Amino acid sequence: MFFLVEEYYPILLLLFISIGLACIILGASYFLGIQKPDTEKVSVYECGFDPYEDSRNKFDVRFYLIAILFIVFDLEALFLFPWAVSLSHIGSMGFWTMIDFIFELVVGFVYVWKIGALDWE
Amino acid sequence: MDFLLVNYILPRLDLIELFNLNQFMDFALLQQNYFKMFLPEVFLSTSIFILCLHASLIVTSRRLSYPLVMQSFGKLSVLILFLTFLLVNNNAILFMLTYQNTFIFDLLSSNVKQIILVGALFCIIISENSLIKQQINNFEYFLLVLSAVLGLLFLVSSYDMLSLYLAIEMQSLCLYVLAAAKKDSSFSTEAGLKYFILGSFSSALLLFGISFLYGSTGTTNFDNFHLLFAGIDSETSSLTQSVEIALICIMAAFFFKIAAAPFHMWSPDVYEGSPTSSTIFFAVVPKIALFAIFLRLFQFVFASFEELFLFALVFFSIASVISGSFVALRQKKLKRLLAYSSISHVGYLLLAFAANSLEGTQSLFFYLVIYMVTSLCLWSVVLSLDTLTNEKRSKTLIDLASVGSVNPYLGFGAMLAFFSLAGVPPLAGFFAKMEIFLSALSSSLFFASTVAILSSVVASYYYIRLIKTMYFEKKRENSFIFPVNRACSLTISVAVFFLLYFFVNPYLLLLLAQKMALCLF
Repeated sequence: MFFLVEEYYPILLLLFISIGLACIILGASYFLGIQKPDTEKVSVYECGFDPYEDSRNKFDVRFYLIAILFIVFDLEALFLFPWAVSLSHIGSMGFWTMIDFIFELVVGFVYVWKIGALDWE
Repeated sequence: MDFLLVNYILPRLDLIELFNLNQFMDFALLQQNYFKMFLPEVFLSTSIFILCLHASLIVTSRRLSYPLVMQSFGKLSVLILFLTFLLVNNNAILFMLTYQNTFIFDLLSSNVKQIILVGALFCIIISENSLIKQQINNFEYFLLVLSAVLGLLFLVSSYDMLSLYLAIEMQSLCLYVLAAAKKDSSFSTEAGLKYFILGSFSSALLLFGISFLYGSTGTTNFDNFHLLFAGIDSETSSLTQSVEIALICIMAAFFFKIAAAPFHMWSPDVYEGSPTSSTIFFAVVPKIALFAIFLRLFQFVFASFEELFLFALVFFSIASVISGSFVALRQKKLKRLLAYSSISHVGYLLLAFAANSLEGTQSLFFYLVIYMVTSLCLWSVVLSLDTLTNEKRSKTLIDLASVGSVNPYLGFGAMLAFFSLAGVPPLAGFFAKMEIFLSALSSSLFFASTVAILSSVVASYYYIRLIKTMYFEKKRENSFIFPVNRACSLTISVAVFFLLYFFVNPYLLLLLAQKMALCLF
């Protein structure tokens, strides 16, 4: 069990720091900020529909579609960052693997575009 | 300044060299051998991309007035699968580990790949017509079938926990969508959702097991596991407890994926709800790949933990044989019945798995191929049962009534297939079952094989009842019967030929099965 402490100690530390930092940021903005709520301010921001309403309402399935497509391209960016940082270590193999990955993603993108999944209307 | 140079500028100089032609040539040389092994997969994935681009450009083109591409895509996918089969078949290298040992190419993987490709090819051939009849006009259907096959090919040759997990996910994601392919049917959507939720649960279990393995050993590679656990003493080693938990999780995922008994609940619902063309694919193709990879996992990589998984295998085998035989007695829907029958056949396969010997594994592969041939025959019979009145609903047992007199050839094919599943002598199914029981008995699994033999007697009751329905029961209403289409009749006749031929001369297939089994022992 000792190796656990040794190896994961920085992660534990990071966990505590991030919890503390989150508390500080939230608490500071809660206690120090001036709060004058009105209907525009407390309404849902950028999200299409109200989360606290009757759950039997219909809403558009396109929200899901956009969310799923967003996740795909978001993950692409997520892959690109560590790849870009470690590019000098992984050689040409790593480079061309990523190019292949991006090419495959482009095929999917062309499909999504052509089939009209990105059109809202 | 020096610090900046060493840490930031010098490494970047590699980048400039990357585009150097010389280095690219090195890279190409390095890739050549890998490409030789990966040629079938590369070909298949490239064709999927080209098909995808082609279809998305053509289907949306106003100039061509939005054409339907289903028929041409069916033919194209058959061609692609056939060419991939040729590429796999034509491989010169017998054994190779590639990409940091994440993929293995040996006789087992290449033979299983060929069987998968032929099975998928026949699935597409026979289900093409029913797709058009059910008005599934999404060209994505064939892309998904091809991607599922690609995932299965990767699965068969994966030699690392990561590639195994990714390949399993790839094929099962495609299968979830195939289950829900008929978008306007609530049954199909329900089947897809059920399959998705339960399937992702089992994938999570698999991943949990893998994480346990990685946590306790620090590696995910099969080769490393094999070396690490060779001759390990499970009593004394401190490592074994977490590895055993991991293996239990992995086994649960495996039993779920092949629908063995206590984890079989999803399979009848999914088989019944999804469109018949997808059900055929679920029933015929993925099982052999899953069995191949898990045989490699349990009989080769984790062979020293045998007493742990042999117990589980025997238990699951008995449970699936019993529940598959007894629950099927009460089924009225044809697809549900076939689902339960496939559960009981999984039980026999697990019995051969539990024998844990060369003969057992050989008989397992023999049985799997025979079962694939038989179920291709049966499913093409199911597809040919369409009449004008029952075209839209899912088939019940009474739809088989008077097939024997209306279409004697179809009835004969179905009869032989049912007899072969029941294990009646002059057919290949008898030989396959006998091999399994003999190998189980020679590994001293007396109780399990007795239970399996007794349940197979119960199971033969409902197969024979179906034959009775076909030959001795009259249809209540008369209806217009569609002629059997050419692909189905071809498949039925080829399958019937093989069912008879493998009884007369099983050595061809037995040798193939032995070649595959020898890779594991």
